[in-house]
Order: sequence, then structure tokens, then C-alpha cells
Amino acid sequence: MLVAENLIKTFPGVRALDGATLRVSPGSVHALLGENGAGKSTLVKVLTGVYQPDGGRITLDGDDLRLTGPMDAQAAGIGVVHQERNLIPAFSVAENISLHHLPHRRGVVDRARMRAEARRCLGLLEVELDPDAPVATLSPAQGQLVEIAKALSLENRVLLLDEPTASLTGDEADHLYAVVRRLRDSGRAVVLVSHKLEEVFAVADTLTVLRDGRSVASGEALAGFSQSRVVDLMVGRAYEQVELARREVNAEAVPALRLADVATAHGHRDVSLEVRPGEILGLYGLVGAGRSELAKAILGLGRITAGTVEVHGKPARIATVGEALRRYRLGYVTEDRKDEGLFLDQQVTRNIAVTVWRRLARLGLVPDRAERRLALDFVGKLDIRISTPRQVAGQLSGGNQQKVSLAKWLAADCDILIVDEPTVGIDVRTKAAFHELIAGLAADGLALLLISSDLPETVALADRIAVMSDLRIAGVLDNDHDYPRMSRQIIRMIHAETHAEAA
Amino acid sequence: MSVATEEGRTESAETVRKPPRIPWWANPRVGLVILLILLIALFTALRPAFLDTKLTLVPLQSDISVYLVVGLAQLMVLSLGHMNMAVGRMAAMSAFVMGLVHDQLGAGLVVSLLLGLIAGGLLGALAGLIISRTGVNSFVVTLAMDFALVGLITILYTSVTDGVAFPTLPAGMDALRFDTFADYCLGDVCGPRIPLVVPFAVAAALLVGLLFRFSRLGREMLMTGANIKAAELSGIPTKNRIVQAHALSGLIAGLAGFLLAANNGAFSASIGGEFLLPSFLAPVLGGTLLAGGAVSVLGTVLGATLTQVIYKGLNLLQFQLDQLQLYIGLVLLAALSLDRARHVIAERRGAKL
Amino acid sequence: MTRFLRTPDFTLAAIALLGFVVLAFATSGNLLSAGTLGAFFRFLAVPVVIGLSQMVVLAVGQMNLSVGALTGFCAMAAAWLMLEAGLPAPVAVLAALALGLGVGLINGLLVVFTRINGFIVTLATMTIIQGLRYGVNGPDTFQGYSAGLRAFGRASVLGLPVVFLCALVVAGLVGWFFARTVAGRRLLASGGSPFAARLSGISNDRSLVVAHGLSGLLAGVAAVITVAASGSVNASIGDDLLLPSFAAPIIGGVALAGGMVSVTGTVLAAFLVRLVDVMQAQFGINPRWIDLIIGAVVLGAVLLGTVRQRLHDRGSTA
Repeated sequence: MLVAENLIKTFPGVRALDGATLRVSPGSVHALLGENGAGKSTLVKVLTGVYQPDGGRITLDGDDLRLTGPMDAQAAGIGVVHQERNLIPAFSVAENISLHHLPHRRGVVDRARMRAEARRCLGLLEVELDPDAPVATLSPAQGQLVEIAKALSLENRVLLLDEPTASLTGDEADHLYAVVRRLRDSGRAVVLVSHKLEEVFAVADTLTVLRDGRSVASGEALAGFSQSRVVDLMVGRAYEQVELARREVNAEAVPALRLADVATAHGHRDVSLEVRPGEILGLYGLVGAGRSELAKAILGLGRITAGTVEVHGKPARIATVGEALRRYRLGYVTEDRKDEGLFLDQQVTRNIAVTVWRRLARLGLVPDRAERRLALDFVGKLDIRISTPRQVAGQLSGGNQQKVSLAKWLAADCDILIVDEPTVGIDVRTKAAFHELIAGLAADGLALLLISSDLPETVALADRIAVMSDLRIAGVLDNDHDYPRMSRQIIRMIHAETHAEAA
Repeated sequence: MSVATEEGRTESAETVRKPPRIPWWANPRVGLVILLILLIALFTALRPAFLDTKLTLVPLQSDISVYLVVGLAQLMVLSLGHMNMAVGRMAAMSAFVMGLVHDQLGAGLVVSLLLGLIAGGLLGALAGLIISRTGVNSFVVTLAMDFALVGLITILYTSVTDGVAFPTLPAGMDALRFDTFADYCLGDVCGPRIPLVVPFAVAAALLVGLLFRFSRLGREMLMTGANIKAAELSGIPTKNRIVQAHALSGLIAGLAGFLLAANNGAFSASIGGEFLLPSFLAPVLGGTLLAGGAVSVLGTVLGATLTQVIYKGLNLLQFQLDQLQLYIGLVLLAALSLDRARHVIAERRGAKL
Repeated sequence: MTRFLRTPDFTLAAIALLGFVVLAFATSGNLLSAGTLGAFFRFLAVPVVIGLSQMVVLAVGQMNLSVGALTGFCAMAAAWLMLEAGLPAPVAVLAALALGLGVGLINGLLVVFTRINGFIVTLATMTIIQGLRYGVNGPDTFQGYSAGLRAFGRASVLGLPVVFLCALVVAGLVGWFFARTVAGRRLLASGGSPFAARLSGISNDRSLVVAHGLSGLLAGVAAVITVAASGSVNASIGDDLLLPSFAAPIIGGVALAGGMVSVTGTVLAAFLVRLVDVMQAQFGINPRWIDLIIGAVVLGAVLLGTVRQRLHDRGSTA
């Protein structure tokens, strides 16, 4: 029995875990549920030794566990299949499964034993895969099965699956859950982290619900819960949220951004959307539905193969982000602020002013004072907490980093903004401030396309909500801000879509 | 590039630790200045001739000028996190064009210089173009280019000249070689004993400093080096910046070739043959990393000065050229390790505060 | 089979074979005469080994700029041990190998402990080794050492020089190391996906040290071959090896990013470069054309690889 009690983990500016508790018994499937940012990933990383907790204790069968690194967790028999693939693409299936302890004779790999082990582990899962196939040639679903096989090879007693079906089709997911049941029946404990409630209810025995880093349910039998009860537990705060000022959108206005029957090289088909000035159009969908890719295609970072994009009623051909910015005043706040949004080693002022150097420059030179004034202006407006303007962006907390990432587009004077997952990994208070900020931008007349996987956020902010599923728009809803009603409608829409797909 | 850094990045992406302010003594530039002073004192104590103006200081300044400009050429692409392995050969091609324009067309100093620099810039731009269009590693592209140019240069010199060097020099090159400002007097007031090539290097350093510190172009190059995805998503034309940085690298390499030709008194095929190592030494000693996104022009000046002081000093102490290498390498390793140690100590101290 | 026909190795092999046949005809069979053919392969041995020496560090995403200088240093050390210290040839050979391994390990340890980029570390050690190489005997040449070793350098089996066969054996061992041994697989895992490797309990630091050590050892092998085959050595040995050491693996299709090796590709690329070399000697072309051609070939190989990748990507997304 794996027990984690009152775990605490803080990052600069965020308390990711604030008394999380988890109890998992052998021979059961345990669901770990929670909204985006509730602390699920952090909990998984603490349990697998990637992070060290600041407080609380973890015990396995009553013995205290001190996990100082991933190896400790493995030694204790706790395995994990992460969302991001951790296989070596050039290596074969068999080799990846045995990589921890390659069977060898005097340093030479014993391939026969390696293959046998791979067959044994794959056999436990009743999966047919060629042990000699390079992992690079496998589908994401097959890769996932290889990772599970790898965990089995390590004789793990506890297996954590982090969003295992995020990139799988319906059939593949069904197969995976059959595997999960088999693992349970063999006496192992499986912890399942998932967004997809329907799937969870079909397979899990017990559950833990995290909200803002705290357990609001831990270890109870799933049988005592209805789906809507679980949703209420997860999103409890949706009702506490500050009421945002109502805005009036002129429905007659020419759309600032309009997509008509757009198809992309990424695989989007028949995407039609309209965002009017002063309006927030929510683009909701599950991870992998293709929302960020659509945004990038609009910006010229992906190829649009059919349909038209119009900006303020005129057809727009956007080839580069620079062009989107200068000719169409269209900006994109990326979801991946660390890799795509910020220059972590550069000063905050430069991070904000990077989009406007062209405008500030005199004879090609950027006057420091003008840059600083402009940057500090936005530091003040967005309440970005910095100790000195020369501070580098990497030293800021997540929320402040996100504000810097947004500030650079506001500085550029955009009138259409695509904001992608603006509050992922941000603590609750900053999140609320961010929501007010975004609503304020719309009130100032900006057209906003809000991409979010955070349902309460979408319902709280958007004027209309477009639901994206599987690279298509499943429907567009007028938002009446009645959360229980809207959320049910949206979730039903997504499910109808995936079911239609499976049928 | 190394496994270690990649891993470090994955870790730091998760938890953004607050790096403490680095104290002044952990600044590599300060260490270089102290080292410079110590070395000059040491050489002077061992050989008082080290401070002899005519014998040592004047040629030393000329050498520093050349290798400073060489370092700046490399610095241009280090800003992107790239390398220019063909820096010496771009200098040689550029010098060839200068010699050719003068020899065949009878052009004067300024025209030859300008056309040579343009040739260097074009070569750099070609490298940048290949890198930005194909996405192939800059190391590979410039290495291949270096190979190709080594051959081409000798062939060109053989077909146009006696095979080694151009027989004539534009008017004024001799003055650049032998004169110092002390040779030019206004009434009784004469200039200091600074060779005429020095202002070229100083101007180059100032311009490069200005470029990275104040200009939009330079800043956008640094941003491209810091995070190319974020730069692209901020509307920076990253491909153009890559081409431009490489073009400037080639152009500055051309200037280095010109200064060396002036010092040697000939546009010869051997120009640039010894540029590669010093081109990295000066910026790296000065604290510029290979990762891109940050450069130090002042550090490059100090790095070039330090290397040339060591060369000159050991030369005076009658060390053989190849033995010099040993000490230069040791100094580089020691400087880098100390730099690393300083950082670690500074971080630990900061963490305790 | 068709998959094999499309591999870069096959393309290289076809080009190499074609080049060899064309050259044989163009020299009216002179290339195939015992003397020429022997020389062809004898001077192929060092480029093969030095290319492998660079390849093993590329496998972990590192570079080793000191391979050339180290080869020279080990060669000078071996000659010194035989002539000045009077040691028998086998001892000197072992000492040269040990020296190469030791210096390589130092490179690796420096990279791991200082966390400084491997390019810079080996740039520094390269200059140091150049100084040491010169320090062994100044500008003078060592010659007239062990007759047995020199005979070994000139010996042939079935018309192929023994030193070349040695190089092939070394190549086979390196290929076997990466394909079959636990240490080799770990090295490739570290180079390809350091994070995934670490999660699998592999020490990336150890992989770096092993790769640099192996690179040094191979430089030592190249040194021994040089000492045996050339009959005399001086402090300039290794100066012209650095760029070819990169050329062979890069033409052979090894990526700088790490995680993969191609022993066959590296050997074939070294063969191609040697072919160009011989062509120059046979036709009395200005030797400088060689560099031009090799440069163009490297660039061409890289561009071809990119195009191939793009076509592949496009094919798979469509």
C-alpha cells in the first residue's frame, strides 16, 4: 500500500502541492483527478522522485520512503509512464524495455535474453509487437505500451500513468484500459491521471481529487460518486470566482478575424470562426485537439491549404509572425512560455520591447531610455513583480513570466490577440488577476481568441465558445456564463464527437 | 551541444531557481585584468625589454589589433550560438580580392579595402544562407567551406601571382606597417607611439559593441541566439538575422586579413592560416559562451590582449613557438576552470544569504 | 533489400566503387598495380581510424578538436620511448595506446567536472598537446627506430597492407562496441536522449568520459599506425588530421547532435577522400584542388542528407 500524506511542494510564487494526500492499494486502479494546474503532475513527479517535497511523508507498506531521485522510486518499485515519451527512438522495442538492466554476458548484450524479456512483458499485456522494431517506427499508442512493458520489466508494484490516452484514438484507448485491468488483476496498483472522466469511471476503483494542490477527496471508492459530483469537486472554485464585468459585443461589427472553411497541412478541415472587436471567443478542446496548431497556421508558421483568412473584412495572407504583427496587428501569446514565449536569460525590458524595436529605433539604434520607459509602463500596467528592470525573465515566477509574455504583444499595439492557455501552471490568485486583465483587454476593444483547456476559465471569460475536437470545430455556443449548464453542454459535444469518430 | 547542458536545461525548465546576483569578483573580465597586470609585471621583471616601446610595445599593439578583429569576427556568430570555422579562409579570400583589385586594376588602398571587405561579407552571407535555409549545423557548413576555400585560395594565388603573394601593395600599406602616430607631427606636437593599424581595430570593436548594445539588428541577433523559437514567434526575421550575422563575420574577418597583410607587408596565401584558434580564444577568455544570446566585446578585447601578451612575453624569454602553445592552452584551461569555480562559489554564497 | 538499397551507406558504397573503377580505367590499370594499390590502402589506415576517433565523441554530441594533435603526441612519445628510453617496440606501442587513452579520459573528466562545452575544453587541450608534442624532440625528426615495427608497417597480406587490415579490425571492433556491448549502447542512449537515458539509470557523465577516453585510445591507434607505416616521425604529425577527422564521419552520415554512429559510412567516406587524393597524385593536379573537392563533397553530402530528410518528412505527413 502506497500512502502519501500532506505533501507540500512550493515553487517560486506557486504552492503547487498544499497538503495533498493519496492512498493506493495493491490490486486496484486509482484515479488521480483534478483540473489543469491542480497539482496532479507535481504529485506524480514527487511520487517518482523527480521533485523532492518540502513537507509531508510517503510510505510504502508502512515503511518510510525517501525519494531523492528517479532511481530511488524505481528501486522502491514505483514506475511511471510520463505524458512525454521517454524512449530512445533509434533503439529497438526490446532494448528500450530492458534499458535499465541490459542482460549481458561479460559486457556483451545478450540479445536472446533481451528479446525473451521483451516478449514476456509484452505478453503480460497481451500486446503483439516486434521486439526488434525500432521505437521510432511505432505509433504513439504502441510507444505507450512499450513504456508500460518497460515498467513491468522493472517489477514495479505501483505504476503511474500520466494522461495515457491523450494522444490515442478510441480503439487504442480501449485496448490500453484492457491492459490496465490486467495489471490490476495481477495485483499491481495503477494510478491513473486523466482528464477524461468517462474513461476513468469505466476503469477506476478508487479516486483522489486535487484542487489547488489540496486533496478534496482521497482514497474513497469511486462507486460512491457520480460524474457530476466529481466535476463539482474538481472545479469547486468556479463558483467562488470574482464576477467579471459584463461587456456588450456589437454583433453587427465586421469581424476582426474571420476564418472560412480553413484547412491546414496539420490536418484541420473546414474550420470557420469569427472574432469581433471587443469580443472574447473561447476555443475549448482537449489536449491534442489541434488548437495551438491552428493558431500557428494562422500566423504563417504552418501551411494553410484551403479556405480564407480575413482580417477586418479583407483577405489576409500571412507568411511570417513579423508580417502578422506589422501588417495585421495580430499577436499570439504562446502556451509554451518557457520555450517559445520568453528569452529566459535576457532582461525583462528586452523581453517586453522585442516586438517594438523596429518602432523605437532611430537610425537603427534603439534608445535605452525609450525601451525602458515603454517596458516599465507595461510592468506597471500588468503589475509584473520585478526587483529591477535588469532582472532576467528566468528569475520571475510563472505568473509574472506569463504577464511578460503577454506584455510584449500589448506593447506592439495589437488589436487581435490569440491567447493560448494563458493560465497553465499559475497559482489561483494570479489566475484571477489574469482573467480580469483579459476581460479588460476585450473591454478596450481588442478581439481575443482564447485557447484554453480550462473549462471554468473558458466559461467565465468567453462571450462565445467554439469547441474543437479532432481538428474540427464541433460547434459554437453562445455563452450564458451558467457554468453547470455550459460545461455539460460542452462536454457532451466533445463526447458526441469522439463517439461518432469511434463508430 | 553537450549532454550536460541539455540535461541542465530540462531540469531548470521545471523549477526556475532564483540565481543570486554574481558579485563583482566573479566577473571574468576582472580576472582577466588582474591576470594581465600580473603577467606584464612578471615579464618585465624577467626581461626589462618587455616595456621597450620600439622592440615590444609597438609590434604588440599591431598584433593585438589583428587578433582582436579576428576575435570579433568569431564573436559575431557566437552571438547566434553558431561557429565560423572558415574565419581564417574568409580573411584570406578577402585579402586576395584586395591584392587582386590593386594588382590588376591598379585600384588604391580604400577601393581595394572596400571591395575585399565586400568579398568577405559575401562569403559569410553564403555560409549564413546555407545554414538558415537548410538548418544544417553552422560548424559543418563553415568547416566544409573552409576546406573548399583552402584549396581555392592556393589555386587562385597560383594562377594570378607567383603562387605565394602579390608583388605590389597599394600605396599607404607601408605606412600602415611601419608608422606610428609619433611619425606624424603638427608643429612640435607628435602623436603617441601607436601603430596606424590600431584605430582600425578600435573602430571595429566600438562598432561591434554599438551593434550589440544599441542597435535593433544586433539585439535581434542576440535574441535569435538566446531562443530562436521565441524570436521567430516575436516577429524577428531569424533567417535574415542569421545571414546578416554571418555576413558581418565574413566582413570583419576580411578586415583582420587586411590588417595582417598590412603587418606582414604582403597579400599572401598564408593569411588567415593561424586565425581559427585565436578567433575562439579571445571571446571565450573574455567570458562569451558558445551557447549564444550574450557576447562581451570588452572581454574579447581583454582576451585578445592577454593572448598576445603571453605570446610576446614567452617569445622574449626565448620559448619556441610550439612551446608557446602549451602555455596558451594551460592559461585558457585555467581561466575557464577558475571562471567556473568562481561561479560555483558565488552561487553557493548567494544561496546562503 | 530495397530498404538497404536506399540507405546512405549503400549510396556511399556505390559512389566509392564507381570512383575506384573509373580511376582504375583512367590510370589504365596503374591503380591496380601492386605498388600503387598497396600505397592506396596503407595511407587509408590513419584516416579511417582518426575518423572513428571523432565519430565516437560525435555519438554523445561532443567534439574532440585534440584528435590530430594527440595522434602526433602519441607517435612522438612512442618513437622517443624506443630511441631515447631504449624500450622494445611492443612496450612503446602499448605505452602510446595508454597515453592516448589517458589524455582522452582527461578530456572527458574536464568536460564533466568543469561543465564547459567539449569544443572549448578540447580546443584548450589541443593547444596544450601541440606544445607537448613539440616538447618531445623539438623540431627534429625521429627515425631508425625498431626495424620490426617498420617491417610491420610495410607488410602485406594478400596484397593488402597489414596496417590497413588493422584499421579494418579496429573499425569492426568499434562497430561491435556500439552495436553489441552494454557500454556502447549506454553511450548511444546518452547521446540520443540524455533525459530518457538518465531515467533509465544511465549516467550521462560516465558516457561522456567513456566516449572521450575511447576517442583518445583511437588516436593512440592512429599514432601507432603512423609510426609503423611512415618510418619517421616529427612534431608536425597530426596537424593535417583535424579537418579530415570531421570529414569522414560527416560525409558518412553521422549527425553532430549525437545518438547515432555509422562505422561503415565513416570508413567508406575515408575511402572516398583517399580516392580523391590518389586521383590528384595520378594526374598531377594541384593538390589544393583536393581540399576544394572534399569541401564541396562534405557540403554536398550534408545538403543531400537534409533534402532526403525533408522528402522523408513530407512523405510521412502526407
